[in-house]
Amino acid sequence: MPSLIILVPLLGLIILNMPIGNFMRRGAFWFAIALFSAQVLLAVFHHSLAWTGKLPPVDALFKVGFTIDHLTFIMFICIGLVSFSSLLVARHAMGDEGELFKFINLLIIASVGMSGIVMVKDIFSLYIFLEITSIASFILIAFRKDVYGLEGAFKYLVLSAVATILMLTSIALFILVSGDTSFSTIGASLQSGNRVIVMLAIGIFICGLFIKGGVVPFHGWLPDAYMSAPAPVSILLAGIITKAAGIYTLIRITSAVFGFIEPVKAILMLAGTVSILFGAFAALGQNDFKRMLAYSSISQIGYIVLGAGTGTALGIAGAVFHLFNHSVFKSLLFVNASAVEKELKTNDMNRMGGLSYRMPITSATSMVGFLSTCGIPPLSGFWSKLLILIALWQTGHFAYATIAVLASVLTLAYFLMMQRKVFFGKLALGLENVKERGAGIMFVSIALAFITIGAGIFFPVIYNNFLLPIKEILVK
Amino acid sequence: MEQYYLFVSIFVPVIGSFLLPAVGKFSERVRNLSALLFVLVSLFGALALVPAVMAGRVINIAIPLPLGFNFAFTADMLAVFMAIVSSLVGSIIVLYSFDYISHYDNRNEYYLMVVLFLGSMMGLVYSANLIFIYLFWEITAIASWRLIGFFREPIHVLRADKAFLVTVFGALMMLLGFIFIYNTAGSFDLAAIKVYFKTNPVPNIAVILILFGILSKSATLPFHTWLPDAGVAPSPVTALLHAAVLVKIGVYVFARLFIVTLPLTPQWNVIIPVIAAVSALVSAGAALVETDMKRIIAYSTVSQIGFIFLGFAIGTEVGVAGALLYILMHGLAKGGLFLCAGIVEQNTKTKDITRMGGLIRTMPVTAISFLACAFSVMGIPPFGGFFSKYLVFSGTANSGHLFIAATFLVGAILTIMYLLRIFNLIFMGESHLANVKEGSQTMVVSVAVLAGLSLLCGICIKYPSEFVQSAVKQMMGL
Repeated sequence: MPSLIILVPLLGLIILNMPIGNFMRRGAFWFAIALFSAQVLLAVFHHSLAWTGKLPPVDALFKVGFTIDHLTFIMFICIGLVSFSSLLVARHAMGDEGELFKFINLLIIASVGMSGIVMVKDIFSLYIFLEITSIASFILIAFRKDVYGLEGAFKYLVLSAVATILMLTSIALFILVSGDTSFSTIGASLQSGNRVIVMLAIGIFICGLFIKGGVVPFHGWLPDAYMSAPAPVSILLAGIITKAAGIYTLIRITSAVFGFIEPVKAILMLAGTVSILFGAFAALGQNDFKRMLAYSSISQIGYIVLGAGTGTALGIAGAVFHLFNHSVFKSLLFVNASAVEKELKTNDMNRMGGLSYRMPITSATSMVGFLSTCGIPPLSGFWSKLLILIALWQTGHFAYATIAVLASVLTLAYFLMMQRKVFFGKLALGLENVKERGAGIMFVSIALAFITIGAGIFFPVIYNNFLLPIKEILVK
Repeated sequence: MEQYYLFVSIFVPVIGSFLLPAVGKFSERVRNLSALLFVLVSLFGALALVPAVMAGRVINIAIPLPLGFNFAFTADMLAVFMAIVSSLVGSIIVLYSFDYISHYDNRNEYYLMVVLFLGSMMGLVYSANLIFIYLFWEITAIASWRLIGFFREPIHVLRADKAFLVTVFGALMMLLGFIFIYNTAGSFDLAAIKVYFKTNPVPNIAVILILFGILSKSATLPFHTWLPDAGVAPSPVTALLHAAVLVKIGVYVFARLFIVTLPLTPQWNVIIPVIAAVSALVSAGAALVETDMKRIIAYSTVSQIGFIFLGFAIGTEVGVAGALLYILMHGLAKGGLFLCAGIVEQNTKTKDITRMGGLIRTMPVTAISFLACAFSVMGIPPFGGFFSKYLVFSGTANSGHLFIAATFLVGAILTIMYLLRIFNLIFMGESHLANVKEGSQTMVVSVAVLAGLSLLCGICIKYPSEFVQSAVKQMMGL
């Protein structure tokens, strides 16, 4: 019954837009909460017998085979967490009911797209769902219709179009070689197909995914988009959309279709390391809170790609765990950034200072978030980075491991700078009347901080039950 | 039963510390007392383990976890000794904080961080797994970062960030070394690593990487600069950081890894003493010319840590025993010096020793406690510091490193010079300051207790030295 996860939100979207008076508009928030809960519950309980095989006609409506494995499951958890956070923040951040209603519609579309991405088993359906997600994100970035938003959305649109062309070309080549679009058929025929065409197709497909995921050197759209989008959209983009569209797809396609062959591994590790370093150095020079977080995202995505590039079970487990952690702590940091932005009406860190006196919860939770990003134990980010490091060391990539470790010092450096300018220190002039944001945003921050701490402390449980089984994607 | 003592002495302060801010919202007094209580639980937990470890038993808690991240804690004599020293000095410092910190902001955060720090120190000394050592190591770094920046002035926050960055850099290099060892030996568990390296040589690169971490945490040249800068923290914190606990983490891990677990190749028995000697001399020189009271004592710490490293790195029975005693004596005496400096600073509102003088007349107890602690650091008999210094020298000379021993002798003479200089400038001579009072009762009692303990440990040297001798036997497997 995996197709219900797509169908339920789609039907919900239709019901939400039925012309039945203002009733639906006002209840949109709670309606969306219910939809997302249903989606998460469907994903969590997909294994229980009551759901499997009872209603074959529904699945048969789709030509696409949807499956849910352990990797998909973790992605559903991420999608659910980030969608909830974004929704709760939107309720406080959006100007009026009409805007909130529009936002919720787009959020549901994006979530349908992402759910599709993580469940499909053929390359063309994957492309369709990628496009659904991207189109929702273009509009979301330009949501406020201001100059910066339109500029960010336009950059993303242009680069995404390039990615689309690259991927479509690559899909055409794959069909040429294998005559089919399903992952397994393409994967099998790549062994026997024309070497040059196969490598070309793989190469340009990876480039397309790098654009979607914001990996250096295809990261140009990312800082503008994150910075200019409204707060709930930044959370959504940084927390999940780039991960699902770019990074998850990369891991899935590489393991299911390309296989972890040497050239692919080399490209992934190189691109990952360059992203780590570039993102960290660029973040060091930022004065804008959200822009710094955007560059930090590029750097952290680098770790995920680097971990996946090892091609071992441990490396992929580390990469997926870091993806989960990054969804959580980057959402947390963007939630806090949006709280600060709303209160101070600015993102310029030089005009902040000593906010821990006025916003203790925001300050404490962003400390949890940034320490986890830097990989300081016992927070969850430490374990995922440790897994990636061990995997790199086991595969003999000592240089990459050393760079990854030293980049953690850079990460710490720019986050300490942020902490010093924004929260730690004496209260800056003119900020005496700043207050904490509403209970809703504080609830999101605290919940995400607890997930970060909890995932760190109960890491062995998570490793055994969720991360270890991921290695099934490697067995072909 | 002993396993419960072990468990309680780690997790009561670690978990309890997070309750302190909530308690502080209702009552300052209850919060202060519960902070002291949590640290005392660690102290009594460690003391309760003494009979068992003296009988030669080793108490283990081990829960196997995937990837060799075993949840493993061990209490042997070395761990119990270290735990007693840290929690003893720690509880006196918490007592002293009651008055010292009572008129500043952010008191809830202060107690949270101090107790968390001491709790993770307990976790670190009992850890029998490299990953848990690293984990607690970094928690102490977080706590010290917040504590150094306690007063929130821009310069304080900057220096807190510096200390955090330097120690985290070292720790990450150490983590690489740990991963190297994990990859060679196949486990993070110290017991398994020990078995593996009985028959295999230790890779030198791993030793170098781990030394990065140890030297940066113990503020040894070339990673020592954060420590004098960290003197901007409140005095109980500098005492905690410099004297009792933080800088001892590095030497403790050195002993735990390179004496108990991994056999070092002979060339390290020369390289590490040379690093320690350079560190001891350079920082002693710096202490001679500084005029900021807390920086002098901080440089003195850097210098004394060199002696501890020397004792451990020489690796003979006498040297290691001397180094262990040194950890105890230096913790008590240097803690006392910093707390005396805190009293002086709070009552004179300055840290510049050239602007002080004659304070012995108005604050006699502080002055005498300062002198007693200084004597112990100098190594004047019958203070405890004499015995530890003597054993370290005797171990070095007996193993034939006469040149190194001579270099350290110069360091010891410099120690006497700068400590007498600081004492003279602060307490003797003409008074430049008017209306200086003695510190509050709790604070004066705290420093007097530390000074008294320094003397008592010297007079009753029999008990600590017996314990240390059996500890050394157990450590070196004799």
